[in-house]
Amino acid sequence: MATQVFKIADSFRKDVKYSFCPGCDHGVAIRLVAEVLDELGLREKTILAASIGCSVTAYDFLNVDSIEAPHGRALAEATGVKRARPDKFVFTYQGDGDFASIGLAESMHAALRGENLSAICINNTTYGMTGGQLGPTTLLGQVTTTSPTGRNIEYYGYPIKIAEHIALCDGTAFSARVSLDTIANIRKAKQAIKKAFEVQIKGLGFGFVEILSTCPTNWKMTPQQAHERVRNEMMPIFKPGIYKDVTAES
Amino acid sequence: MSEKNFIIAGFGGQGVLLAGEVLANACMIKGLNVTWYPSYGAEMRGGTVNCEIVTSETEVSSVNKKDADFIVALNQASFDKFISKIKKGGWMIANSSLVNAIKPRADINYLFAPVTKLAEQVGNIKMTNILALGLVAKVSKIVSIENLTEALDTVIPPHRKNLLPLNLKALKIGYEYDLLTV
Amino acid sequence: MVECLTNKKVLTKGNYAIAQAAINAGVECYFGYPITPQSEIGEFMSGKMQELKRAYVSAESELAAINMAIGACSTGAKAMTSSSSCAVALMQEGLSYATSDQLPIVLISVMRGGPGLGNIYPSQGDYFQATKGGGNGDYKLIVLAPSTVQECVDLTYKAFYLAHKYRNPTVLLADGLLGQMMEPVTFGEYPYPEIDNSDWALTGAKGRDGRVIRSYAPLAENQCVFLNKLFEKYKKIEENETEWEEIGTDDADIILVSFGSTSRNVKTAVKQCREQGLKVGFFRPITLYPFPNKRLYELSQKTKKFLCVEVNMGQMINDVKLAINGNAKVELLNRPVGAPPNVDEIVEKTMRF
Repeated sequence: MATQVFKIADSFRKDVKYSFCPGCDHGVAIRLVAEVLDELGLREKTILAASIGCSVTAYDFLNVDSIEAPHGRALAEATGVKRARPDKFVFTYQGDGDFASIGLAESMHAALRGENLSAICINNTTYGMTGGQLGPTTLLGQVTTTSPTGRNIEYYGYPIKIAEHIALCDGTAFSARVSLDTIANIRKAKQAIKKAFEVQIKGLGFGFVEILSTCPTNWKMTPQQAHERVRNEMMPIFKPGIYKDVTAES
Repeated sequence: MSEKNFIIAGFGGQGVLLAGEVLANACMIKGLNVTWYPSYGAEMRGGTVNCEIVTSETEVSSVNKKDADFIVALNQASFDKFISKIKKGGWMIANSSLVNAIKPRADINYLFAPVTKLAEQVGNIKMTNILALGLVAKVSKIVSIENLTEALDTVIPPHRKNLLPLNLKALKIGYEYDLLTV
Repeated sequence: MVECLTNKKVLTKGNYAIAQAAINAGVECYFGYPITPQSEIGEFMSGKMQELKRAYVSAESELAAINMAIGACSTGAKAMTSSSSCAVALMQEGLSYATSDQLPIVLISVMRGGPGLGNIYPSQGDYFQATKGGGNGDYKLIVLAPSTVQECVDLTYKAFYLAHKYRNPTVLLADGLLGQMMEPVTFGEYPYPEIDNSDWALTGAKGRDGRVIRSYAPLAENQCVFLNKLFEKYKKIEENETEWEEIGTDDADIILVSFGSTSRNVKTAVKQCREQGLKVGFFRPITLYPFPNKRLYELSQKTKKFLCVEVNMGQMINDVKLAINGNAKVELLNRPVGAPPNVDEIVEKTMRF
């Protein structure tokens, strides 16, 4: 008799066409989100605030009620949703440009207010959808279409370490950075997403996961090279780890 | 009654806006239409505050009129600022405790009363504004002392109701101030 | 503040009247950021909403405030924000999204002087901002213009109703004069029926697939279909909801057109002209969108002179001219900012015209 070893999550829409580039980690990240929604039994009470960038299509894959926020405003819209309907499970799925550049004020203030929300931020060190420009997390020395000789401090300043900043906010209940470069790390990532969702359910405050992610197309790399870059170039600067966890503290 | 308007002016802390609010409420209680409008923002820099009350049996057109029927000046700056805005035959009601009792215009009526001093005699200098309202009621004959009494009861918030008797006393002293002593 | 659900007359400021009316209309969420001359609305809401266990957020910016309102409205909740001029400018992106998302946001816009920081005095300089919009794309906001504190109440009620009836952002366009002035009002009860939103509101996808409220339409054809549908809705709004006040227009040689607080002096001036035997009419658009084009066009068949009175450099006059379409002569009497032209000035200009 056959044993089922893999099942597509119920929180994943059926018959959708995969639209991310080959080797992009968005697909893995969204799958993990869908699995956690299933495992926590949240699908039918979830409202997603989607964002602008490659992350916008999250609502094409996740079979949950969704609102599409303007660029950077996902956490403002999520705040509105949650305050209007505190019994719902509300989360955002954003890129680093959306979360930490144009939306930094909304992101920080949602954390500072301790909104009972969860936020997922995909950090791929570039603006993917617009063709690979310099973003808030672009590494020093990294070549992008708007940093043709590499990010230098003189012209561009420093990249932001998002998970560390969010951890500093008093209203944050959980803040972690994870990577999807190995199977083991994917498992850890799922655990972190689960934790960020659980703190909301328990009413403990803001739950946040920054996911280091590939962008093979704009990095001009193969999927394998891209994951090696995550490991060798991103992880030494953006160190994975749990930066705040109020459930562990107590 | 055709449309009539009042300007109450003084320095910050004299209760100018509150006095206006009480007067406007009294007009409403009497069954008149009324609009109250305050000076605000940069206009208030330098310490003078004023509000305008327009009342009418028919619809009130607007505030920010070019002249007024009754002007209450609780300090010298307000007297100087508004003396030219009084309509011919209108009234300047001035606080002679702080305003020089001179009459720059011959075509208007004057009432100089030591409002601050009278308020001190009532027992609280903060009653200056309400005492002045008593004078306004007497001179303008638009609202009665009963209307003003009811208005005070409406405007004074529940946690300040202990101040109502003092306010009513001030109102009465203003209303009964002997106009002949002017 | 006041007894709000009775027919008792109370004296109150325009800003408080709007806030209390919103409470009576059943607003569930208020989001705002302070700006003069409308800060009383947020101040009032901060206390009242908490007392009633409804949602209140001191937003970090107007950008956040309008988007919080979008989020709340997406669940079918009655939500609002309030602001003024240079800060309403920050909300234009959100308003454009909300028209595309078809969400019933109520925005209270209390105009002050501009452009830029301008000043805090009354103005009608945001007629264009409200009716033409500063956001991107083809969209319309329903815009209601009160002229008295009582209308601040009545039209706030109406704003919630129309916003939800048509699933379109609706603006109550007041100004510093109305916001700051006190007049007697009666609140009564919210007079409109509640609108069913069960077919679109985000409630969690219980027993169904997830709904998406979105404006992203990657394919051109889809966007064409959507925009045509959106504009069918606007046509309905124009047919059903256009509202105005007119006095003495039947035999008028000249009609004075004015909206909002400015129209009060204009109305008095018209009465004075009539008393002097002049055939002068009064026309006040109450809905600035939909604008009473048709009625103005009809009037221009007989009346050949229109005088627009505004506290700006001449904005509504453009819509009057479009409506009249060359049928009559249209002139402007304006004040750039601050107090509206006074009655004598309006009478004099009318006589010269």
